[in-house]
Amino acid sequence: MKILAKEKVQCLLGKMNRETRVYCPQRAENGDLLLLPLGDGIYTDELGKTPLSAKTVLFPQGEDILLIEKERILKITDEEEVVVFGVRPCDMRAIAFTDRFMMRDNLVDPNYSARRNAMTCIVVACKEPPSETCFCKATGGELFLTDTPHDVQLFDAGSYFIAIAGSDKGKGILGNGHFESATADDVEKLEALKEKASHAGMATNGVQSASEKLLANEVDDLFWGHLAERCIKCGGCVYVCPTCTCFNVHDYPGESGYFRCRSWDACLFSGFTRETSGHNPRPTQGARLARRHEHKLKFDLMNYHEIGCVGCGRCSDACPVGLGAIEIIDEMNKAQESRKT
Amino acid sequence: MAGLAAAFGSGAMTNSIPELDDADAFLVIGSNTTEQHPLIAARIIEAVRRKNARLVVADPRRIGLAKLATVHLGHRVGTDAALLNGMMHIILENGWEDDGFIQERTENIDALKKIVTAYPPKKVAGLCGVDEEILRKAAELYARSEKAMILYAMGITQHITGTDNVKTLANLAMLTGHVGFPSTGVNPLRGQNNVQGACDMGALPNVYTGYQRVNDEAVTRKFEEAWGTEGLSREPGLTVTEMVHGAETGEVQALYVLGENPVVSDPDARHAARALKKLDFLVVQDIFMTETARYAHVILPALSFAEKAGTFTNTERRVQVSGQAMPPVKGCVEEWKVFCEIATRAGYPMSYESPEKILDEINAVTPSYRGITWKRLESSWGLPWPCPDESHPGTPFLHKNRFARGLGHFDPREYIPSAEIPDEEYPFVLTTGRVGPQFHTGTMTRKVSILEREAPRSLLEINPEDARHLRIREGNVVAVESRRGELRLLVHVTPDVPEGSVFGTFHYSEGNINELTICALDPVAKIPEYKSCAVSIRRI
Repeated sequence: MKILAKEKVQCLLGKMNRETRVYCPQRAENGDLLLLPLGDGIYTDELGKTPLSAKTVLFPQGEDILLIEKERILKITDEEEVVVFGVRPCDMRAIAFTDRFMMRDNLVDPNYSARRNAMTCIVVACKEPPSETCFCKATGGELFLTDTPHDVQLFDAGSYFIAIAGSDKGKGILGNGHFESATADDVEKLEALKEKASHAGMATNGVQSASEKLLANEVDDLFWGHLAERCIKCGGCVYVCPTCTCFNVHDYPGESGYFRCRSWDACLFSGFTRETSGHNPRPTQGARLARRHEHKLKFDLMNYHEIGCVGCGRCSDACPVGLGAIEIIDEMNKAQESRKT
Repeated sequence: MAGLAAAFGSGAMTNSIPELDDADAFLVIGSNTTEQHPLIAARIIEAVRRKNARLVVADPRRIGLAKLATVHLGHRVGTDAALLNGMMHIILENGWEDDGFIQERTENIDALKKIVTAYPPKKVAGLCGVDEEILRKAAELYARSEKAMILYAMGITQHITGTDNVKTLANLAMLTGHVGFPSTGVNPLRGQNNVQGACDMGALPNVYTGYQRVNDEAVTRKFEEAWGTEGLSREPGLTVTEMVHGAETGEVQALYVLGENPVVSDPDARHAARALKKLDFLVVQDIFMTETARYAHVILPALSFAEKAGTFTNTERRVQVSGQAMPPVKGCVEEWKVFCEIATRAGYPMSYESPEKILDEINAVTPSYRGITWKRLESSWGLPWPCPDESHPGTPFLHKNRFARGLGHFDPREYIPSAEIPDEEYPFVLTTGRVGPQFHTGTMTRKVSILEREAPRSLLEINPEDARHLRIREGNVVAVESRRGELRLLVHVTPDVPEGSVFGTFHYSEGNINELTICALDPVAKIPEYKSCAVSIRRI
């Protein structure tokens, strides 16, 4: 255990940035708090909850993956060492979740894994939920990490952070001169911080009951059809989701050949599941909405014994028509109650 | 736009977009808002869901918003004026009009009363094919809500009665005192990010910037002075449809087309292509090769929004500055530099240092843009016009206390049927529109893989009953024929289209519905009747 004075954070980031690229939450020119390469915005000590998670560093919105030339095909990967500072615990859990999918034994995604192996995550535990749409605890998380792999976890102790290494890479970072020794008081303080954080209120507590309801096939097409009437099909909920990893590929011409580019895709689009024959196994927006939430709350549970939602609440922040996970989970539980009476 | 300008003195959205959140009622007519203005639709959906705002949707098709509506008026294509006159008849019959507003703020109410007397609910219900009770309910919901907003788009303007329809909407708003207040007004939704700006800048045949008329001597003198020239024309020029017609007759010999694709987007499109072929000289300037550019003698490159700096004026009249995000593609330069070069070579030396300097000139010659300076735009989220000076905050909603023209003018209009009515030979009404994933003639969106995947084909939407009679099924190909031409299209069977009508889009040059549409024009605005023509459908 070490401590890091808050006033030294910027200096530490600057130092690390000289060797590896550093991402951290910064204020952009227009005032938004975004996860950006250091220097692309202004670092203000404020970590908050950025609209896009650290997933975007590993799996960017669009990236070239192949260059197809006349005589050869080149694989394009990015192995640049990257440090991400200010990763939220929910986002770290999301990365652990996507690791399992993108780096399966026999099916490793080369672009994802190259970036992942070159990535160092400095997690900052939440003292309190950074936004009113947070519901990590309802998805099995806490405001700090317990057993999710990470490199460093920092706890906000007022004027300084209490720092704990979670990996060898993390130990290396804590060996940096900006970190100072912790005292016995800090051990106590850390326990008190964790205790306090564990009592935080959440935007919804109904995840488990909604999940059980889906497992028992108690949610019908009418429910989804009714919700889907207000979906404007923007795909925003998918794009901001830290555990969504679906992508599409397309080719475009370059100077020496064709680039194959992959970009984020969304299961809420009708073309996502439409087959060449024209048949669509998820033919309506209601069926697609159902599919998305069943995937997270039912099928992931069946396949991995863990739901695919970390409770960051970004979908509820982004959706312009109130169709984020929080609203859908609450409506699912409400529908259940009303049917019981 | 002409219709709204005649009634109020200004032809733009009278409210700002955030005001939608606080409205008590909406009347959405001729706008498939969830597909074409999804973020405006989202605000309506949220106002309905969270605040129980009332939603009246008037559209022949059961569009997305109709499914969330308190009342859906599925009136027949082209009967908008009858429908609205009928609503006003009911309002007057029940005394729901706003007498104070009418007296203080408007003129010519008697003429209106006289005309709408002839539109009793029973007659209107028959004409429009709507239920009388639903019509009454719609009139009541709109008239008796305190803050009621009308939203409309091309569904009512793309008719030979487009101007009449808009005037009739304005009449309805004035009759009920529903204009000139926050979250209360009449709002044409503009179809492109900068079509409002293009109109504001005088890209119309009859006005300079800020709708200053070319046939107003003082205005034209002012521009002659500002530009150090004389002899500017005092006569309005031609509208787009008139230009294409002029190319056909030889009245127009040369045409310079920027960012438009009339070979696909014009009504009776095959005819438009033939007309362009007759030109002595055609210049097309666009970011991609287009169907129209294939007819050009000269193709000039253009820049996408990301490659240039300048301002855009959105549908709520908000002028916003947009910076350059990437350098131009090799060999391309800013369009304004191309214009300057052409003007210079034509004998009028024209040059500007930057888009900022161009805005300086706009500020100098345009009263409604006078206070919208580059400096202010750079440090804000934009300013809605009118903004007469640099200390003015801009105007989120128009016509507060006084209409731009003084008194609001009731100009009652009778219902006139569409130019082409179905008959034995062509028994279906074809109405046209768009789908969310594609934009206009698809010159941009059809190059985006996920958008193209969402809507890859030109479909003809038909009601299940009609499909049954014609013995066609989902995915069949049919021959659709109008007096202008014939097309083969894939069928999509859906109850969202009423019986007797079919729907198609103009996004696809290989199945372009505009090869069937009619070039019948509104006499004032010269907008073609894209929304209604007669077709026959044959199983093949």
